Amino acid sequence: MKPWIRNILILFVVGIIAAVLVYMYTFRKTDPSVASKKADIEISAAELLKSFETDEAAANALYLGKIIRVSGVVESVSEDSVGISIYLQDADAMAGVICSFDKKTNDISWVEKGSTVKIKGICTGYLMDVVFNRCAMDTKKP
Amino acid sequence: MKITLSFFIMLAFLQLCEAQKLVSKNGHIWFTASTPLENIDAHNRQVVSILDPATGTLAFNLLIKSFEFKVALMQEHFNENYMESDKYPKSAFSGKISNNADVNYKKDGTYPAEVSGDITIHNVTKPVSSKGTLEVKGGSVTARAVFILKPADYNITIPAVVENKIAKEVEVSVDVTYTGN
Repeated sequence: MKPWIRNILILFVVGIIAAVLVYMYTFRKTDPSVASKKADIEISAAELLKSFETDEAAANALYLGKIIRVSGVVESVSEDSVGISIYLQDADAMAGVICSFDKKTNDISWVEKGSTVKIKGICTGYLMDVVFNRCAMDTKKP
Repeated sequence: MKITLSFFIMLAFLQLCEAQKLVSKNGHIWFTASTPLENIDAHNRQVVSILDPATGTLAFNLLIKSFEFKVALMQEHFNENYMESDKYPKSAFSGKISNNADVNYKKDGTYPAEVSGDITIHNVTKPVSSKGTLEVKGGSVTARAVFILKPADYNITIPAVVENKIAKEVEVSVDVTYTGN
């Protein structure tokens, strides 16, 4: 084989590999949990809730879709087939912050009622409570 | 004195009514819009729903950004281009189980349920109806239903470039387990 043909062949193969990688990265990327990402905002659960209760539209503009590190006291932990939900609520409050974790990537079995934790997640909005998904625990297991 | 007394009786009565409502904060609603060209499905496991067994009144509330796709870019397009979730962060349904009288919430079993009401998506409200089931099992109630929605009905325009990748009819599934309030 002539060297120039070989070079073109190599270039061709490298080009195809690069194209596939770029395609996989931009079009097929799966959304990982926010564990490796930096939080845009740090706030306490009580403060966040208050902000949604006073002016939901303003709070939406501030927090919707952002990665937020929220701190608070665990009121309850519930588990179903795919996920775990941690509910942060102050003792005297009517509502709180619900944080959903993917069971496969998070070991948070040590969390119990009364633990003070910091959780990083994406704020998706406000229903009865402020809702977070794709969460990652930011407090180390004691 | 009489007024305060009747006020307190009313308050107690209201609380009693409230106590009988069934609530879920982690209901599961998902949809598929797959075509031979593309697998599209997204799951929302943070649906809030309230069911009043006495009247059959039923309400669902969900956040658009809580829908999780496998592919990040799909989720981005869904939020930014199709649902405009910054402008319209929520979807809701409120309606009634028309054959609620046939459902015995105190006896274990699976009951057929006919639901009709109004659904709001992308700021457009339309009447919908669907057949589903209510499963009563050891004190908890699970509601399940499947229905079809057309994005075009809710002013959701799909650009021509991806038109053939997204189904014209989206199948929506509901699976919500309630606990007493």
